[in-house]
Amino acid sequence: MKFSRNWLADYVPGLTADGAELGRQITMRTAECEGVEDHAPQLKDVCVARVESVEPIAGSPNVKAVVETGRYGRKTLVCGAPNCRAGLLTAYWPLGVKKIAGVGSEGMLCAGDELGINRDHNLIVELTDVAVGDPLPGLVPDAVIDIDNKSLTHRPDLWGHFGMAREVAATFGLELKDPTDISLLPSGEPQVNVQIEDFTLCPRFSAVVFENVKVAPSPLWFQYRLQAVGLNPINNIVDITNYVMAELPQPMHAFDADKVPGQTLIARAAKANERLEALNGETYDLDPSMIVVGGLDGPLAIAGIIGGDPSAIGDSTTRIIFEAANWNPVAVRKATVKLKLRTDASMRFEKSLDPENTLRGIARAIALMKLVCPEARLAGGVADVRGPAVAPAPIRISMPWMAKKLGRTIGQNEVVSILEALGFGVTSANGELEVTVPSWRATKDISMDADLVEEVGRIIGYASITPTAPRMDVVPPKINRERAFHNGLRRHLTHVGFTEVHNYSFVADAEARKFGFDPADHLRVLNPIAEDQALLRISLLPKIWKNIDDNRKHFDQFRLFEIGREIHKRPEGLPDEVPHLVAVVYAKDDGVAGLNQLKRLALDLLPEASFRAVAGVRSFEHPARTVAVMAGDTSVGRLFEFHPSFVEVGRAAVLELNLRTMEKLATGRTVAYTAVNKFPSSSFDLAVVVDARALAGDVAQHMPGAVFIEDYRLPDGRRSLLYRLTISRPDRTLTGEEVTAERTRLIEHLRAQGFELRA
Amino acid sequence: MEQLFAALEGGLERLNSAPTPEELEAVRVELIGRKGLIAELSKGMGKLSPEERVATGKKLNEAKQTLEAAYEARQAAFKSAALMQRLEAEWLDLTVPPSGLAPGAMHPITQIQTEIEELFVSMGFAVLDGPEVETEFHNFDALNIPPTHPARDMQDTFWVEGGHLLRTHTSPVQVRGMQTFKPPFRMIAPGRVFRNEEVDASHEHTFTQLEGMMVDRDVSIANLTYFMKTLLAKIFGREDVTVRLRPGYFPFVEPGFELDIQCMVCEGSGCPVCKHSGWVELLPCGLVHPQVLKLGGLDPAEWGGFAFGLGLTRLVMMRYAIDDIRWINSGDLRFLNQFGGPRA
Repeated sequence: MKFSRNWLADYVPGLTADGAELGRQITMRTAECEGVEDHAPQLKDVCVARVESVEPIAGSPNVKAVVETGRYGRKTLVCGAPNCRAGLLTAYWPLGVKKIAGVGSEGMLCAGDELGINRDHNLIVELTDVAVGDPLPGLVPDAVIDIDNKSLTHRPDLWGHFGMAREVAATFGLELKDPTDISLLPSGEPQVNVQIEDFTLCPRFSAVVFENVKVAPSPLWFQYRLQAVGLNPINNIVDITNYVMAELPQPMHAFDADKVPGQTLIARAAKANERLEALNGETYDLDPSMIVVGGLDGPLAIAGIIGGDPSAIGDSTTRIIFEAANWNPVAVRKATVKLKLRTDASMRFEKSLDPENTLRGIARAIALMKLVCPEARLAGGVADVRGPAVAPAPIRISMPWMAKKLGRTIGQNEVVSILEALGFGVTSANGELEVTVPSWRATKDISMDADLVEEVGRIIGYASITPTAPRMDVVPPKINRERAFHNGLRRHLTHVGFTEVHNYSFVADAEARKFGFDPADHLRVLNPIAEDQALLRISLLPKIWKNIDDNRKHFDQFRLFEIGREIHKRPEGLPDEVPHLVAVVYAKDDGVAGLNQLKRLALDLLPEASFRAVAGVRSFEHPARTVAVMAGDTSVGRLFEFHPSFVEVGRAAVLELNLRTMEKLATGRTVAYTAVNKFPSSSFDLAVVVDARALAGDVAQHMPGAVFIEDYRLPDGRRSLLYRLTISRPDRTLTGEEVTAERTRLIEHLRAQGFELRA
Repeated sequence: MEQLFAALEGGLERLNSAPTPEELEAVRVELIGRKGLIAELSKGMGKLSPEERVATGKKLNEAKQTLEAAYEARQAAFKSAALMQRLEAEWLDLTVPPSGLAPGAMHPITQIQTEIEELFVSMGFAVLDGPEVETEFHNFDALNIPPTHPARDMQDTFWVEGGHLLRTHTSPVQVRGMQTFKPPFRMIAPGRVFRNEEVDASHEHTFTQLEGMMVDRDVSIANLTYFMKTLLAKIFGREDVTVRLRPGYFPFVEPGFELDIQCMVCEGSGCPVCKHSGWVELLPCGLVHPQVLKLGGLDPAEWGGFAFGLGLTRLVMMRYAIDDIRWINSGDLRFLNQFGGPRA
């Protein structure tokens, strides 16, 4: 939303701050200013000039003109406008001499766009009733303050200059001048018949008829003001509606009264299959969720959004109906989404405009008609139909409460004067203030005491509040064990050489299928950014695989890990978000070092881990290099190498752990300390001969406490697994016989299990 | 006897000139060993008169001391030479890079998140988690954003099957906090959030936020500012930072603020980083809206609070001057490996 500094100053006559200072103050007190720009600064140099003579320039469409500028003397210049003619009063801008079409041009005659008045570029401006050498009447340099629309979401009143002027007046402690003169409203029988079918859709509808209207361009000063805030001047009637919109803010619409059958306007829901050709030339299909201003024969305008072409103001229009209505913000917003059409009007109606403004809007339009269409005459009184008005309940606040919220003391007088400057009614009773909310703040912005803390705080300035530590109980916070556990894992992994990655939670259907996951098992995003980001991951592996594929282009070897959530659908309620750890070792050269390192890692993170053959491998797992990571009989994850068809160059070993299971196992894990044995221990070695593809894990589970020493390949292709057993007693030294007996017992036990022992 | 004494005379020279430690040892045994020359001469003293014995004893003693000293000096010289030789031989190129594993790096988001978590835990805040797939109620309704609220347009939401959504902010954890804890309480909730936005150098659909909330009987704007200053001083590693509050609209706080920090590049005088304003917009915050307290099961007449939201992804980008947000979730080790190593 753009604000003209000069326009604001109309309502705050004492204002001296320039645009930049206004921008700063508005940012600190009201809403975020995104920038301040000078508008038409050249106007301080531009003056009225009379074209004295014009002569053609051979071979050029331009003419050579001699102009009398008064202020700058007589000048010769080149002008390309077809309306440049002797006797014309126009605008002269003194610029340096510049050669155009072989003629030295001393400055220029200006078109509307060159002076920020409108978008006319073809014709130079034509002035009447002005003196040569004078500044252009009503046109002075301005500053445009651009306020972030998002920061005005909750402030319908700030979508017009008068509302912002109120803030400015309160900020600077200046007086606010209301431009509206309600006494201008004519009484008597209205010449327009207004009906509202549903007050929730249209809380209020006001209208008035003018006759003897002459549609023409607005005076330049009027156009200039609209152009400064980005509204393009059209003609005097449409400009009035835009002016009132940008001022109060009350969007209005003007109908050609002769094209409104029966002079009847009906605020109602659209009917199925109704269509309207709008002012922008597009035809819109309407449905009953939208509101229209209907005539006797069908819709005339899409309420709060855009008018219809058939009843539009044209050059031949002589009678008009000004409409100022209040529309349901939600219905307007939904319609803009459906129609893909947002307008200056709809942006305002979406914000819940003040229903009290409709009559004020009509009154302003009447005042402006006198300025820009003086011939027009009011016809009949004002039509004003409204639903039941509900006065907002007053809000009670006490000074101690206000001080408690602000964190500083504040005098009652100061609070009262701030609230009154902002338009609140304040009465004092029983040590409390009773605050009445003005209609323009009551539609949704302000309804409770907390809202008033903001009103007072922002005007006194938050900088006046000293940061203070609160009084609070000293209580150690509850520890988030899951996060502490994950952070511990992160520290360990980085210490042993793994770098943490964060991957997206989205996967593509094709990606899921590639890994053998059924897309139907995934939670689907209904409005994905792209089809390849439509599923929520049920495994971290597809993206981890991508990390491997990306990074192997830059590194011959690397280690990385991710801790992230798998998201699993449940029949009801929210999905199950299960934290997982995936760690990867990639090496370009052949070898099993990666798997070894991850095996080490698994045991570091889960000391009781054992590795067990898996019944079936997944498509991306190396079928001969995949094991389950177990804690007793609980599966915790997998250790595998990526299938060569997934990682074609080099080898990528993967450890995948379910951290929910891991955390359960880690919870309550304590150190069971036993005193260091004072008596010497004895050791003996056992070599178990197994087939080439037997699992050492199957052997070891029969020898608790055995330490693996060596895996030796025998000449016949079988393997000899060497283990060392160490035994001791806490109360004495074992005898040689006892050691032998234990060894024998173990050998027999292993033989009984079908293992062969090497002599 | 005289001959033997003559041998002693030459012994000193032999010790001093022994070419190897072994020969030195042999000469030592021969001269001053248990069965060496001195010992032998001592044995012959019994045949001497008492006067001669005294004179000879003295002479032998002096000779022995001289020889022993010479032996020790020579031996020390050999040891020292051997050590010198060893040291010389053990020359090593210590500039050769080490073998073995270099530590990896934690993700910069994890690092800043951990820093902030530690700070808040030290001030009595609990760390809470919430689901990434949220209910509409927690993400919007309970935060005073009813279905018709235009604020829902401000955030582009990913909707998923079952009527749920990917949380658009960490604020729903406020609601979970109020449902979990008995007041008074203080909590933060870092986590991943999602917005339906096209990704480019400065926009991401997946990023990390940190929500904070304090609920107590008397919580003021002054308290909020105190915590925010403490937080930002820590994040930016300064004794103190200058901040300012200005009005900002967020449906779940009232009053709501945008908190700006004075630009640390230009110290507030204006530069391209702060777009010449002297201030950098950093975090939205405010006093918890009474309606949000109510929906969280707390009585706003009794309890109040503040809440804030911090964009961790943005902080990381500011801290390291990262110009493209896409690096954060790229998984690219050329980027991530730069964040390793201890820092004080």
